[in-house]
Amino acid sequence: MVIKLTEEVFSMKRFLACVAIIGFAIFGCAEKQAVAPVPQPGELTPPSQPKEVEKPKQVPVTEQVTEQQIAKVESGEVPSKMEEVSGMFKDIYFDYDKYEINENGRLVLRSVADYLTKNRAHKILIEGHCDDRGTSEYNLALGDKRAKSAKDFLLSLGVTSSRAEVISYGKEKPLCSERTEECWAKNRRAHFVILKGKK
Amino acid sequence: MKKAPATYTLHATRKRRGKNFRISMLNVFLCVVVLIAVHSLRYPVAEAKEYIDITSPAFKKLPIAVSEFAGSSGKEISDIIRDDLDFTGIFLCLERNAFLETSSQPFQQKNWTVIGAEAVVKGSVGGGGGKGLLASVSLYDVAEGKEIFRKEYRTEGSLARPLAHAVANDIYKHFTGENGIFRTRIAFVGIKGGEDSLSLMDWDGHRISDLGIKGNVLLTPRWSKDGSRLLYSSERYRQWGIYLLNFTTMTETKVFSSKGTNIAGDFFPNADNVIFSSSVGGSPDLYMYSISTSKLTKLSSSRGIDVSPSVSPDGSQICFVSDRDGTPQIFLMGSDGYAVRRLTFQGAYNTAPSWSPKGDKIVFSGRQGGKNHIFAINPDGSGLTQLTDRGNSEDPSFSPDGRYIVFSSDRDGDRAIYIMRANGEAQKKITPKGIKAFGPRWSSN
Repeated sequence: MVIKLTEEVFSMKRFLACVAIIGFAIFGCAEKQAVAPVPQPGELTPPSQPKEVEKPKQVPVTEQVTEQQIAKVESGEVPSKMEEVSGMFKDIYFDYDKYEINENGRLVLRSVADYLTKNRAHKILIEGHCDDRGTSEYNLALGDKRAKSAKDFLLSLGVTSSRAEVISYGKEKPLCSERTEECWAKNRRAHFVILKGKK
Repeated sequence: MKKAPATYTLHATRKRRGKNFRISMLNVFLCVVVLIAVHSLRYPVAEAKEYIDITSPAFKKLPIAVSEFAGSSGKEISDIIRDDLDFTGIFLCLERNAFLETSSQPFQQKNWTVIGAEAVVKGSVGGGGGKGLLASVSLYDVAEGKEIFRKEYRTEGSLARPLAHAVANDIYKHFTGENGIFRTRIAFVGIKGGEDSLSLMDWDGHRISDLGIKGNVLLTPRWSKDGSRLLYSSERYRQWGIYLLNFTTMTETKVFSSKGTNIAGDFFPNADNVIFSSSVGGSPDLYMYSISTSKLTKLSSSRGIDVSPSVSPDGSQICFVSDRDGTPQIFLMGSDGYAVRRLTFQGAYNTAPSWSPKGDKIVFSGRQGGKNHIFAINPDGSGLTQLTDRGNSEDPSFSPDGRYIVFSSDRDGDRAIYIMRANGEAQKKITPKGIKAFGPRWSSN
């Protein structure tokens, strides 16, 4: 358990090491005293006043509490130049924690493939989404797998890989925010966005 | 590590100083220097003389009286100190209305023995020149009837809270021999107006600052072991990138981006190598990436999902989430990607793992009864313990001393940040009302 400090604190070994260290320190110092009995010229404290020894304790220690100033970072990134058109295709839906395409999904994807065949300059962006019952990072990976399943189906219909892009939003962009089975089902989706070539 | 047998009472291990030390000041000084120098090599805590044994089965909270400090910010500062000490569960902070003397009155042993205090904190706060503060703090041992610690704290500007936390750290260290975490911070993702922003706050949820880093979506940041950098993933203009924020230079750099999904991740102890999940190769797999050489090394490969890697404190092991067996479970592997083994077998949804600072525990979010709760488990698979039972809780991570856990939860409505002791006690929300937040990570120092 984490609330443990240390159990093996007072092993004999450690005790002996401690004694040795303290002994060394005091003995070593005492020896120095014997070797250098001549007071230093700059020495202010006469060695024969034992009361002075305790005095430094009385002076309070002062700590300067400081903190690094955190400046704001502006994240600069160039916006995409693709024109996006949403809503031309229905979303397709997935079972809980699954990324297999169902029959309904295949139907929608066939119409997407059809569109791409007719509109050679356009691409498709597939967004993968999840319901909010899972955790953020796993859902992001799950959304990636859902979008990728949709993409793979498009590839099987003859769409070239460079014309279908995937992105996951996990559970971060839900369509519906209630905690009901119906709402969760709506959020477990792949959403299609048409990208009209770079301008 | 401690040098003395840990004892709970204030006075048990105190050594009385001999009155007949006939050594010059210089020699005393030399001795102390040598002692500290030699000591600090083996024992990080050289100055603490008495300890509370937090591990002892007979462990009892230390009754401490934190008086209201004199001066204009006195109440604010002494309240913070009291709240810090109280949250540890190691101290029993006595009610102030029972106190028989104030901070400004001279300390009298009998005033404190009658209310059962074993330690007393007193102080006064004044202006430290300009806008600054100067706090003078004394700690008394009631049984011995004398002052055992005195220190002044000075700040410039409005750092009353950090000042109070610095005092709490000193008191905590005095009694436990360990470094307190009261000046550590928590990085998290705040949600404002549909956009995510990377934010920082004190460990108690105060002094929230927006770091200025925005993304359509941002996910859980990770601290470098020295606390100078954050690694996080952000979606910007339809692309997921792995980013690095350097607190020394206050600059952001994009570490890696590709088509597909890139999800941080963690630092290796050497800080040049990071690990993240990327679907650049088709499916979310784990990659090690060297920041200086841009070398990308694939560490895991499965048909399904590999995500949320967390590197053990010694850098030798990685725990991560994979659905390779059908449902998301926690796995362990060596830092080279070999020796993969499954860690969790209970439940059908175990995600978001994170190591304790000593490497003796892994916390994660597991689904139980349709909700996600925080669990802890030993790296050998034993000792599975459920720590939360309200709402959905996720994103757990340990404080640098391993005594507390921060996590996000929706138990009170919107997602917010909570902390608790590592055994699940004293769960409390730390983000203020009205702030939506998730993805917290406790700083490493």
